[in-house]
Amino acid sequence: MGKYTFKGKAAVSLAAIAALTLTGCASVGGGDDSKGGGDSSAAGKDGGVVTVAETNKFSGANAGYTKTNLDINGHVAAMTREGFANVDTEQKLHPNEGFGTYKKVSDDPLTVEYELKDTQWSDGNKIDKADMMLWWSELSGYANDADEEAKTGKDYFSIAGSTDILHTTDMPKFSEDGKKMTVTWGKPNADWEIAFDSNSFMPAHVVAKKAGMSEDELLKVLENQKKGDPKSPQKQPELEKIGKAWDTAFNFTSTPDDKDVLVSNGPYKIENVVENNSITLKKNENYKGSMPGKLDEITLRTIGDATAQIQALRNGEVDIMQPNNVNKDTLDQVQQIENVNVQKGDQLAYDHLDLNFGSDTFKDKDVREAFLKTVPRQKIVDQLIKPVKDDASVLNSQMYVSSQGEPYKKATEVNGAEKMYGEPDIEGAKKLLGGKTPTVRILFNNGNPQRTDTFQLIKESAEKAGFKVQDLGDPNWSEKLSDGDYDASLFGWVSPGVGTEMLSQIFKTGGGGNYSKYSNKDVDKLVDEARTNLDESKRVDQIAEIDKHTFEDAYGLPLFQSVGYVATSDKISGVDKYQPNQTGVFWNVSEWSRK
Amino acid sequence: MTSYILRRLITAVLILLGASFIVYLMTAASGDPLWDLYGNPNAQQLIPARVEALNLDTPPVLRYFTWLGGAAGCLVPFADTCSLGVSRDGQQVTELLGFAMTQTIMLVTVGTILAIVVGITLGIVSALRQYSGLDYGITFFTFLCFSLPSFWLAVLLKEVVAIQFNDFLQKPVLSMATIVVMSLVAGVIWFLVSFGQMKTRLLMGALGFVVTFGIIYFVLATDWLNHPFLGIPLIALTGILVAVIATILMAGLRNRRALYAALGTVVVGLAVYFLVQDMLSNGGFLTILVFTVVMTAAGAAIGYLAGGYDRGQGARVAGVTGFFVALLIILDRFMQSWPEYVNSSHIHGRPIATANSGTPGFTGDFWATGLDRFTHLLLPTICLTLLALASYSRYSRASMLEIMGQDYVRTARAKGLSERTVVMRHAFRNALIPLATLVAYDIGGLIGGAIITESVFAFTGMGQLFVQAVRNVDPNPVMGVFLVTGIVAMVFNLIADLVYSVLDPRVRVKA
Amino acid sequence: MSQPQPIDVPETVEQVPEQGQKPQDVRGKSQGQLVRQRFFGNTGAVVSVVVLLFIVVLSVTSIGIGPIPGWWKWSPDATGTVMNSGRPTLSLLPPSLGEHPFGQDNLGRDLFAMCMQGTQYSLIVMIVVGLIAGIVGTVVGGLAGYFRGWTEAVLMRLTDVIIIIPLVILAALLGRLAISWVRSHGLPTFATVLALGVLIGLASWPPLARLVRGEFLTLREREFVDAARLAGASSGRIIFKHILPNTVGVITVNITLLMSSAILLETSLSYLGLGIQAPDWSLGRLINENQTAFATRPWLFWWPGVFIVAIALSINFIGDGLRDAFDPRQRKFNPKRAREAGSGTDTLRTPLADAAQPGAAGQATR
Repeated sequence: MGKYTFKGKAAVSLAAIAALTLTGCASVGGGDDSKGGGDSSAAGKDGGVVTVAETNKFSGANAGYTKTNLDINGHVAAMTREGFANVDTEQKLHPNEGFGTYKKVSDDPLTVEYELKDTQWSDGNKIDKADMMLWWSELSGYANDADEEAKTGKDYFSIAGSTDILHTTDMPKFSEDGKKMTVTWGKPNADWEIAFDSNSFMPAHVVAKKAGMSEDELLKVLENQKKGDPKSPQKQPELEKIGKAWDTAFNFTSTPDDKDVLVSNGPYKIENVVENNSITLKKNENYKGSMPGKLDEITLRTIGDATAQIQALRNGEVDIMQPNNVNKDTLDQVQQIENVNVQKGDQLAYDHLDLNFGSDTFKDKDVREAFLKTVPRQKIVDQLIKPVKDDASVLNSQMYVSSQGEPYKKATEVNGAEKMYGEPDIEGAKKLLGGKTPTVRILFNNGNPQRTDTFQLIKESAEKAGFKVQDLGDPNWSEKLSDGDYDASLFGWVSPGVGTEMLSQIFKTGGGGNYSKYSNKDVDKLVDEARTNLDESKRVDQIAEIDKHTFEDAYGLPLFQSVGYVATSDKISGVDKYQPNQTGVFWNVSEWSRK
Repeated sequence: MTSYILRRLITAVLILLGASFIVYLMTAASGDPLWDLYGNPNAQQLIPARVEALNLDTPPVLRYFTWLGGAAGCLVPFADTCSLGVSRDGQQVTELLGFAMTQTIMLVTVGTILAIVVGITLGIVSALRQYSGLDYGITFFTFLCFSLPSFWLAVLLKEVVAIQFNDFLQKPVLSMATIVVMSLVAGVIWFLVSFGQMKTRLLMGALGFVVTFGIIYFVLATDWLNHPFLGIPLIALTGILVAVIATILMAGLRNRRALYAALGTVVVGLAVYFLVQDMLSNGGFLTILVFTVVMTAAGAAIGYLAGGYDRGQGARVAGVTGFFVALLIILDRFMQSWPEYVNSSHIHGRPIATANSGTPGFTGDFWATGLDRFTHLLLPTICLTLLALASYSRYSRASMLEIMGQDYVRTARAKGLSERTVVMRHAFRNALIPLATLVAYDIGGLIGGAIITESVFAFTGMGQLFVQAVRNVDPNPVMGVFLVTGIVAMVFNLIADLVYSVLDPRVRVKA
Repeated sequence: MSQPQPIDVPETVEQVPEQGQKPQDVRGKSQGQLVRQRFFGNTGAVVSVVVLLFIVVLSVTSIGIGPIPGWWKWSPDATGTVMNSGRPTLSLLPPSLGEHPFGQDNLGRDLFAMCMQGTQYSLIVMIVVGLIAGIVGTVVGGLAGYFRGWTEAVLMRLTDVIIIIPLVILAALLGRLAISWVRSHGLPTFATVLALGVLIGLASWPPLARLVRGEFLTLREREFVDAARLAGASSGRIIFKHILPNTVGVITVNITLLMSSAILLETSLSYLGLGIQAPDWSLGRLINENQTAFATRPWLFWWPGVFIVAIALSINFIGDGLRDAFDPRQRKFNPKRAREAGSGTDTLRTPLADAAQPGAAGQATR
């Protein structure tokens, strides 16, 4: 700004002072220029800036790596990575033709053909055979030979999920031009359609560079990797280099010097990271897919405190917020903000009460049943969930959440939960107890007000039937979950929405998430069957059967499905549905624009 | 003296060692650093990795010495051997600290300076008018601020000063009735806190009403909030005010030459106003600094040349005036950038921010980024200032009261010195001596003491780093934060003692 | 509040006549009487005492304490039906309490009862902190100041070690320790309240110890102490009979202010999740749990806040009043009268003035 402008300024000041003497109306103020925030000239064009509030801090561009498997990193991945399929708000899969196509060519053995379109990374490098091989190698864990007991061998890529889905596949076969890949499963897997997770799709040329080799060399190493066998572990040092590069190269908390790790194949690309504060993404100009972004810039800001997020939204500092924990107050507050639209929906997470089969109190099935009979599920929903969502209802299945529709309905018809535990039955519980007054110690997260409230309601009701309820509330509850020193636990599971992996995790004997030491041979068998069953409707039947078993065994009770919402400034268009999965509001980021 | 400092430093190091040992053991005892991994599906990989990275196999006492070894490396200059360990996410604590420190220092500096200046002023004023309405008013106000839970205050500030003010900016109109009511309230406050005879107090009340009314009217009628300016007229007006006040406080109005020198400085400031605009627009921080120094020096020179019976006094008065005139001109330059800043695509016309230390992705010239800093620091600074006000104002009030009862003050009065001379030259300076200690102690505690404010305003400073680490049972960042705060506290304690002995000749350090 | 004892030795600073007062008003009054007289002459302090007593009595009688029931109909943890979305039923015109004067939370618990429990627990923390810090600080400071030599060296270095750990940091770590300790020993949750009080107390004595040491250093050189020593009095007698009563002012004032920062510190710890744990309520935890309700159900946020501010404010005023009462040097100062009169100086320089400020008594948590 030069001298010239300034003189204009001085004139304005003088004129303004002169104006003082002339105005004398009933109200004072109001300049003549219109101020409408984003509507004004600067932001009215195409493009524009959208800011989203985040709770956590960005820690790396590889959201598929165990240590950086964090919601905000996943959100960034949703904007900078795309794969063969997208998930809509109803958890249905839609092929992403802009990236490539896939089709099942055989059921037995399960064989799928993937074909890449002509797409590229943001630095111009083509997406090709090497990228696909790397992707498959991480997710299948083909060469993994680690043995936990013997502490030998190695898992080459530390991926956040499990290698479960692709683990039985053979080395994929490629067409001559490397565009077509055929994968054959050794054992059928119900989740084959979600096998290639775009979160862990990393550019092979960058990984190669970081591992100190060329992309061709990397491809050779991957093609020549040996099938891992925990019984006879073998060293594969070149592969180890690649795995290490994949694990570590993409971890950064501020803008890295080496811009290679910022490459993207999604509609946006990382531009700038301010440590602990924010991450700014710009439109990916080299995007070749079918869903280009409309905005110039998207910024994720880290604001940990829920109240602070709402105030920032009210103040226009952020345009979108999607909190993890929802309570009536925050929701009411957000709904009261003018110029903000709120989309509500059910989260894929649900709260549940599990009884510990390993504890003395609950060895006896009658005691388990008696305790479950006292749980005032309707009251919990009425007091905790209905104020947030009027049409909320008690969740009646351990397998499906109500927003999954048809399968949930089927499961509730079969499992008998409504009949057995619909209304609290204090008398029935007393009868089952026969005068005994067992002590029940309940573990829960007392850092979460909703859980504390739920505990309070369960406690009151159970004490009517003669139980003595002890509070094991602890902010570090997860630490205690696996050591089993409690009688019942109250916490939430987040279901990925698609896939069957959680069946074996939670309900199978010895499963990784089976903290209640539940064991039922029929259930174990059903889980294995369901997981290899490619026929969806039969699979639902099997899962409903598992559900029935859990209620009959008095495993525990599902309580309610958590409510979620996304709040958006009305200056943003494109955010019109609530997406409950882990991608959250970013699922259709390419459709966002600023009005 | 040197041997005293040396002895103090050695003791300081020993104390620091002891304290760090205690903190280390407490952190180790406060929980299981692996707690968050037990439910994780990848626990088998993650647990051994963290145990190795944080050396958890070793018992805490031995681990402390490993840590100490790494920390000792920091004492070797330029050797790059400094290591304070890694956080549980694998980040170097030294890096984390470096970042957090800049954030915290940015956050607390202005707040502390304001709290000291405002607090001491309030304390002195309330001491001079002990048991008056003003004194009670200040006492109540400062105690109230001290009694407020900090996050409570922060949430209120965001609601009122940021959100509602920004809403108001969209359409800055008030009805005449509102303005009158606001001015009446201001008038009543002026009346209540003024002192003297009823007639004076009524007059003060009326003045309060008129001044408030005038200011509000002016601000609204010129849409000043959206297009703030000072321009020649307001710089001249404020400059003259500064010149008069500076003369009253530092020389007394009877020293006409000082007054004329100060007013002359204002004229010089106005004269160069147009000349420096280009320079300021293209310049940055250095330009501001040079300009301020030049103006101050020019003022001092004018004062010295104006002469009179006390050249030094004249130079001081005019120098201070020059300094403030420079600030006004710089402020005016910032104001010129305001509309452009407010209407940029990142700000959307809502300038006052509630979170973070800057607008992410916002870029602009020196003046625009400066404004961005300002809008983000405004709320936390107000918050910190209000919270810290009580300790300074009460302390300086007590100190001032004690001094005013001393013999030498009575002697000064008996000599027939004016009240201004007694207060400003004899009492005020001596009342500041014990305050130097308090200020030094306070700064020592501040680096780690703004935890809550940081958290509410989403500043990722030392406090946040510490709280996260304590929650996560992450020992190395806790130690890092402690080390910094501990060293700062020790250094400032030492400075406090030394300053005390320099300022108060009765106190002598044992050499 | 400990009542100052009459002093057996004349010639102490407190008996110097006040400025502007006629000497005969003072004659024949013990130090205790003087202090009381001055204290009760201070409107702000008296109002504060009344307010504080009212709050204490209200909180103890309403919901009862321990096994003794109170007169209020709801208990803090009884859930119920949420009426009129939990709005407070308190009304001034016509004056009536209604069912739930302060309103209800989302489980229908009575906010008044919760506030009362919160007040009780916050007060308990505060008193325990005052007791522990007072005792430890006085003992450490007194021993160091009286015996000097290596006792002093060791004790004061210990004080230095603790004082350089910022109070919030120390309290947060100790709070974390207290919580996990109580849990791992399967103690009732109420134990956290006590443990927290004890630990905050153990963290906040050093400033007091420094002040007491300073007092002792000055007093032990005074003539009346020498006289007692020559008369063959034991160290214990000298400390308890001659020195301690003269430091009561410093100690009382400081403990008061320490307690007001303790209540705020507990609030801050609750905000950080390191304070009193569910199912117990402290005022800090109440505000913290309900801070999201700030805009929608403001009563959940304001009522506990009002109690915290009221308690902290009245304690600060009481402390201020006590300081004025114990230390007349800062009493009525009037420039005009000071110029005319010319007597009423005190010669003894005590660190009392330095002690009685909020900042010096404990770090504010910001």
